[in-house]
Amino acid sequence: MRYYLFLLITFCSMAAQAEKMRIHVWHQMIYGHRQVLAEVLREFEKQNPDIIVQATYRETEELRSGYQSAAMGGSGPELVYGPSDQIGPFATMGIIRPLDEVLGAEYFKQFDPLAAPTYNGKHFAIGDGVGNHLMLIYNKKLLQSPPKNTDELIEFGKRLTVDKNGDGRVDQWGLVFNYTEPFFFAPFIPAFGDDFIKDEIKPNLNTPALANTFQFILDMRDKYKIIPKECDYETANALFKDGKSAMLINGDWSWGDYKEAKIDFGIARIPMVSGTGKWPASLVGTKAYSLNVNMKSPKHLEAAVKLLTYLTSTPVQLQFAEKVGTLPSNLDARESDIVKNNPLLKISADIMEVGHPLPIVPEVRAIWDSLRIQYQKVLAGSLPPQVAAEGAQNLAEKQIAEMNEVLQPDVGAYIVKAIFALVILGGLWMSRGSLMGFIKGFQGPNRFAYYMMLPAFIGIFAVIVYPFFYNIAISFSNFSLRTFQDWSIVGFTHYINALMDPKFYSLLLKTVIWTVVNVFFHVTLGVFLAVVINQVMPFKGFWRALLIIPWAVPQYITALTWRAMFNQEYGPINIMLQKFLHMSPIQWLSQPTTAFAACIITNVWLGFPFMMIVALGGLQSISNSLYEAARLDGANAWERFRHITWPLLLPVMAPAALLGSIWTFNNLNVIWLVSNSGEPGDQTHILVSYVYKAAFNLYRYGYAAAVSVIIFLILVIWGLGMLKSQYKKETQ
Amino acid sequence: MIKRILAWVAILLFAAFSLYPIIYVISVSLRGDNAFQTQSLEIIGPNSTYRNFVDLFTKTDFLVWLKNSLIISSVTTFAGVALASCSAYALSRYRFRGRNSMLFALLTTQMFPATMLMLPFFIILSQLHLIDSFWGLFIIYSSTALPFCIWQMKAYYDTIPRELEEAALLDGCSRWMIFTKIILPVSSPALVITALFSFMSSWSEYVIAAVVLQDPQLYTLPLGLRSFQASLATQWGLYAAGALIVSVPVLVLFISISRYLVSGLTMGSVKG
Repeated sequence: MRYYLFLLITFCSMAAQAEKMRIHVWHQMIYGHRQVLAEVLREFEKQNPDIIVQATYRETEELRSGYQSAAMGGSGPELVYGPSDQIGPFATMGIIRPLDEVLGAEYFKQFDPLAAPTYNGKHFAIGDGVGNHLMLIYNKKLLQSPPKNTDELIEFGKRLTVDKNGDGRVDQWGLVFNYTEPFFFAPFIPAFGDDFIKDEIKPNLNTPALANTFQFILDMRDKYKIIPKECDYETANALFKDGKSAMLINGDWSWGDYKEAKIDFGIARIPMVSGTGKWPASLVGTKAYSLNVNMKSPKHLEAAVKLLTYLTSTPVQLQFAEKVGTLPSNLDARESDIVKNNPLLKISADIMEVGHPLPIVPEVRAIWDSLRIQYQKVLAGSLPPQVAAEGAQNLAEKQIAEMNEVLQPDVGAYIVKAIFALVILGGLWMSRGSLMGFIKGFQGPNRFAYYMMLPAFIGIFAVIVYPFFYNIAISFSNFSLRTFQDWSIVGFTHYINALMDPKFYSLLLKTVIWTVVNVFFHVTLGVFLAVVINQVMPFKGFWRALLIIPWAVPQYITALTWRAMFNQEYGPINIMLQKFLHMSPIQWLSQPTTAFAACIITNVWLGFPFMMIVALGGLQSISNSLYEAARLDGANAWERFRHITWPLLLPVMAPAALLGSIWTFNNLNVIWLVSNSGEPGDQTHILVSYVYKAAFNLYRYGYAAAVSVIIFLILVIWGLGMLKSQYKKETQ
Repeated sequence: MIKRILAWVAILLFAAFSLYPIIYVISVSLRGDNAFQTQSLEIIGPNSTYRNFVDLFTKTDFLVWLKNSLIISSVTTFAGVALASCSAYALSRYRFRGRNSMLFALLTTQMFPATMLMLPFFIILSQLHLIDSFWGLFIIYSSTALPFCIWQMKAYYDTIPRELEEAALLDGCSRWMIFTKIILPVSSPALVITALFSFMSSWSEYVIAAVVLQDPQLYTLPLGLRSFQASLATQWGLYAAGALIVSVPVLVLFISISRYLVSGLTMGSVKG
């Protein structure tokens, strides 16, 4: 099979080569940039008629994980373009190629050193622009000149935060920004006295500077009330574009958006911290192109390099500079009038002067993650700033150690391999009877059954069983960031670590609560609505159809919709609570308990229709005569439900509830999308979402695989128990 | 009387609960691009516009994605129904060695956290060069929905009396004819549900499609919708409009077959 497939593929690729070479580029350029890219690529194709370039947009995180998986499997795009902090991890994994192999040393000299970063002494990427830095953007209609220090910032902010119509809600904010995300508040840390990364690699988080920065943001929110209580990127962006905010902290990438929205804006440095006299240091980096290590032929590589040099060349960079205002990385291009006469770029360069380069080592990811977790706890009021700063340092050190750990095979490895071999041999030996029977079965009286089942089981084997065993193998291995290309079986370490970790048990408890609460509401609501529809309501079909809606809408759409509905300021849920119940707004998504509650509400909404339909089916089968007899005996509605409906419904509901709880236990989508991957501070995770994060965000594939095997075992044991007790009840 | 009023109140409340998010999406889709943040509860505000819907069809590749999704979903549905109905029939009517463990194994596949099948999936798919082809998706989608569908079909077949078949067998019908001419026609509620599940699993799946399909011309609807969410600036209006249109076919499907759902989805414990 593989062989024919291979032949087919060689044939196809030969046919394709005879025509044109295809080069794929994955990028994460936002809308305006994408249009310029499309233009310059059209031009490239005109110059090189034998090459077709296919550019694909991916959201940053997806670009990262998608590229990792594709490159690991030996494929992926020839060129990958993204923020410089992905260079370190990719290079460590060995999935991007050192550019020094294909481009001479002279080549790199044309660029701003920031755009040609080295990692372990080699160039792995080349940037087409420099910047990506944060600044203060202000709406000139509301504010003539920007604040110079934080005292002014607060003073201006207070003046510009106004409730115009006197309904107790702010209609115009002094300042908005995505302050729950560490990247957006990081510039303040050095301004308060100390940088948060030492020697480009070590976390430096347990400092008064970090604690003071935490406090500063808290004060802006709670004491001076110049920023909204809840504000993600979308909210900040939309408020500024609507003219509902005087100031905004955002990066150079956003200018195009505001120009298009016809906002007359100015840019400036983020105001100096009055207490220390230091300027906030934006992180300055580049977005850069890298070459995939998997390239089918030298010709392919040649074409990819040609494209890479084209995309970083002066004329292309100038087009980007002109149309979307990026600062070229090419030193020649910097001298052009287009750049020199652009007032925005001039101020932007001035802002960059106080910036710090964004480190590209993989460790940065763990630092961001720990910072985010602790910071969000501070914002939610569950940790005081100083304690959070200390916690962030410890967490970062732990995560870096875990991420960089390369496990060596121990005795466990031999045991695992021996067990694997024993299981396979033993399995074959034990099932030799069934196996022979199975093969004989193809001639026997049951052969019809075999032929009927065969196609489905081949499919299930290929798609579920084989990957399942693959995953078990990974769970015993040291598959992680540093062993991406060659992992090996090392033993039981991941299982021991997982089971020794108190966090595992608290997550398990939370998962159980999540499952029980959800399934309880699914079943009770489902049965209740089914009974009501079935017994009382006219137009049964109409109500049934109406209540089925939550089930029919694709999950990812509903989850994102509910997230928007829970927004503190602009979500209809809070607006309704205030308008109709006169409650004060609830901080749904920024407090761990309410965020978890929000996930549960969403999931209850998603799940009750399924149970309702099952219950309706069960109710249909209950004969009316039973109820009539009960009525004659004088049973009231509750007694009739208790003694007729419920016992007869139970055998229908029990398997549905069993299946429902398995699905709920493993439901990743809702938690991930509603709480924005575990926010605030990683406190809304259930086991599966935690596993997902461990695998795809912190590269701990082996550990994640082990935890997922444990999850599976828990469910199997529990499910078996349920089935058995069910079976007993039925036979009694 | 009070009971009736309470019932009406409860039903209306829940109808509102289940409808509201959809209404909210409609209202976002009708707003201009910049009016995402609003504190008004109006569904159709003063500046409403259907521009997002026009843009969706004229300025984006929405129709291409729609076509791709339709192709993938219909193939998946067809394959899913064919595979599930055949194998479930064997599991329902025949007794052979390993039958019980097969049934149990099918159930346990539901217990594995799907997130961890992903990594092996990706490795295998790229090794087989099934990236950027619909084939990879056909195989994955039609097989992942199978365990549930087989259980579902088997439970339904179990409720069909065997006498029906025995009579036909005496008349000299082949087993295949019995299956196609007698069993399948009376199993329509279960078939409809199997079709629905297979269809849904492919119509709204995102994570696997995102890795398998890399060429924008091959995108399915969820992938296309997602591309409106540029890293840092979502085109909310377009997204909402697209989300509505993606949901409509499934909604229509669900509502039109909700009658079958009721009789087909009782886990076999009740005679259909």
